[in-house]
Amino acid sequence: MAAKGALTACDGHMMKRLAEAGLAWLHSNQEKVNQLNVFPVPDGDTGTNMTLTMQNAWDNIAQMDEPHVGKLTYALARGALMGARGNSGVILSQWWRGFAEALEGKSSFDAQLFSTACKSAVERAYQGVVSPVEGTILTVTRQAMEAVSEKADVETDLHTLFEIKVTAAYESLKHTPELLPMLKDAGVVDSGGQGWTFIIEGMLRMLRGEDIHFRSVQAVAVQQPGWQESLVPQDEEGYGYDVQFLMKGEGMNVEQVRADISAIGWSTLVVGDSTLIKVHVHVHDPGVPLSYAIGKGALLDDLVVENMQLQYQEYVKNRATREKQHMARVEGIAVVTTVTGDGFRQMFLNDLGAAYVIAGGQTMNPSTEDFITAIQTLPNTEIILLPNNPNILMAAQQAAALAEGKQVRVVPSRSIPQGISAMFEYANEKDSLELDELADNMKTALQNVTTGEVTTATRSVNLNGIKVREGEYIGLIDDKLAVAGDGLLNVTRALLDKTGADKRELITLYYGDIVTEVQAQELATALRGHYAGAEIQVVNGGQPLYPYVISIE
Amino acid sequence: MTKIHFVTDSASDLPDDVINRYNITVIPAFVNYGGQSYADDGKALDRVKYYHDLPGMTSHPTTAAMPPALAEEMIGKAFEGCDHLVIICTPPTLSGIYNSMRLGASGLPQDRVTQIDSTTLTMGMGYQVMFAAETAEQTNGDLKAVLDTIERVRRNQRVYAAPESMEFLRRSGRVSWAAAGAAALLQIKPVVLASEGKIESIARVRTFSKAIDKLVELAQEQVPLERLTIVHANNEAGAQEVKSKLGSAAPADTRIAMVTPTIGTHIGPGALGVTTLKQGWRTS
Repeated sequence: MAAKGALTACDGHMMKRLAEAGLAWLHSNQEKVNQLNVFPVPDGDTGTNMTLTMQNAWDNIAQMDEPHVGKLTYALARGALMGARGNSGVILSQWWRGFAEALEGKSSFDAQLFSTACKSAVERAYQGVVSPVEGTILTVTRQAMEAVSEKADVETDLHTLFEIKVTAAYESLKHTPELLPMLKDAGVVDSGGQGWTFIIEGMLRMLRGEDIHFRSVQAVAVQQPGWQESLVPQDEEGYGYDVQFLMKGEGMNVEQVRADISAIGWSTLVVGDSTLIKVHVHVHDPGVPLSYAIGKGALLDDLVVENMQLQYQEYVKNRATREKQHMARVEGIAVVTTVTGDGFRQMFLNDLGAAYVIAGGQTMNPSTEDFITAIQTLPNTEIILLPNNPNILMAAQQAAALAEGKQVRVVPSRSIPQGISAMFEYANEKDSLELDELADNMKTALQNVTTGEVTTATRSVNLNGIKVREGEYIGLIDDKLAVAGDGLLNVTRALLDKTGADKRELITLYYGDIVTEVQAQELATALRGHYAGAEIQVVNGGQPLYPYVISIE
Repeated sequence: MTKIHFVTDSASDLPDDVINRYNITVIPAFVNYGGQSYADDGKALDRVKYYHDLPGMTSHPTTAAMPPALAEEMIGKAFEGCDHLVIICTPPTLSGIYNSMRLGASGLPQDRVTQIDSTTLTMGMGYQVMFAAETAEQTNGDLKAVLDTIERVRRNQRVYAAPESMEFLRRSGRVSWAAAGAAALLQIKPVVLASEGKIESIARVRTFSKAIDKLVELAQEQVPLERLTIVHANNEAGAQEVKSKLGSAAPADTRIAMVTPTIGTHIGPGALGVTTLKQGWRTS
């Protein structure tokens, strides 16, 4: 039974506040999630990826005044799907998608429907993964859903159901290391599960009226990078002006101001309370909203007026230059790939024949939308996505599934050396093969190469039977921790020994942005004596954080 | 009956038994190094030693067409006692050989000389000479039939090669290859096709063993084969590997031969090549 003051129905407005609180709490705890990295490598970014995904979901509803929960949640899920980054971000977006699907056509949800939506969300999340693994975000969302499901028949208070859900999520999270030995070895709980739990915990804290360290999510810039791309001039008067200011006063009515400002211009955002209101609006005459605010007796502060027409023209002018840096004209089947580092970018674009390079890699995972933008920007109708990183794979797959009007395939490259291997196959066969055949051949070519990576450990850990001390050099072979120790040369040699490099033909050292070419050549010279059978080549990759990415062929 | 005599250059890589069987005149090209010029006639130059020494040579050897005077002398001798001379040689786009031959034959009655650009190299050219000579013998010197044979062989032959290193090919300047810049940045092994007077990169791989696989794959596209010659620049083991990987696709009389230094200088020691002639070429 619902107690007095209980929350028995959630409409679009309430859902918006929940989403906002979920994002805020996740945002506040983003670094904690980043720290939950199984590997002691400097690319723990599950928290960042999930926050960016959730942020994109929020951005899509930030300006909506939608009482219909089905419509609001649809927009929220759409934003999550497009903004999905990293594998956890993709799973999160699928979770929202399932949640929204259950609410389609519903103006609000009650306890029963909430339970149904959570179930639908978990189903989608599981479907989003090719081979679901327990002990991950999937398990946490499922067990939390099961706890809600048990009580939804008798408990009508959504507030209570959120309590149950969050408690169950933390309980499940605690047990993830028992399901996934990798987590146990690393002494962490699952990062994706923790990120998702922070989101629903944020919702609960909002319902309880607790502090969630709002970090001005309300004032999230309406102008994301590339906003000009989607900007449509309102009428023949052009793009107009972007006006932002703070209204200071007493006894102000936010709802009234929001309604009035909405009538004055477009793309409005009005948030605040009776003493301080932030106004953001696009208008043709900046004087109108300013006069309105003065007329309300408010003091104006932090006044910003920008001419969007000029900004747009500038943007268009610079667009061609920017595109040249990450796009190349390619006939027939085109490849969209992801790399970090100037050396790699130029190599893929100029030498290997990629049509579009998205910046991103170990620490910066591009979103589904980044891939979709690339797919839509290219004139080509048949496209192959080459993610070059296991944590970007799912965003690429999601983009391939969402892209409309084009044939898109994903070749699941897990490293830059694998991507290069696939690009050689592409260059040799693209003119003679159909899309599916070409993608299959490129996939086969991924096996031609072993990838080694050398970096420094971000913490001490005992993993795969290897003792790692913080700050030591560590070597990974095909994503798995393989060696650790002092001295770059020692660790690189130990890594190469483990790959059987003495029986291979070609070792390529791609040096990162913290290494000079002279240092890389010195390392190559030192290695040459040990692997007489193999050629050793030094190439500028320019990648961050990893002094060396090594391909062994 | 018309007596036709055949002239070719040393880049045709014809085996001695064929040369002797049809009394073919092979005019040598020249390799210049260490301040000396060596005729590529199988005598002046020790091929094994040459390929062995090539990587260490301080100044890169060059190759040269035979002097017109030598061509004139040898063509003149070949012309004695025959009714018609057919000259099949290296494409003018790749070497001055064609022009030396043309000058060498310019004093002869032009209605009794036919000079043909083979458009290719090594046994791709060799097969044309060999089967043209066979046709001449079988038809009692029917020039039309001979020219028809040359045309058919040319259509049905392929010459593919893979250098072990890019270095020599780059020095040669003879590869029309848009991605030459890429080779400087990333290690690339090209697989090339000699055809229509050009050397073209048709595939790029990362390692020599992948290049060998590619050669095998390309040869397999031509099966069934009437002839196969696997040529090498002092890499007998590599040639044997190609042959064994081809298995039953390789005809029983598959020949393994060291490629002429006039070609080997440009493609570099260790290089491998396959030269194929399809079955059914006589009718297609």
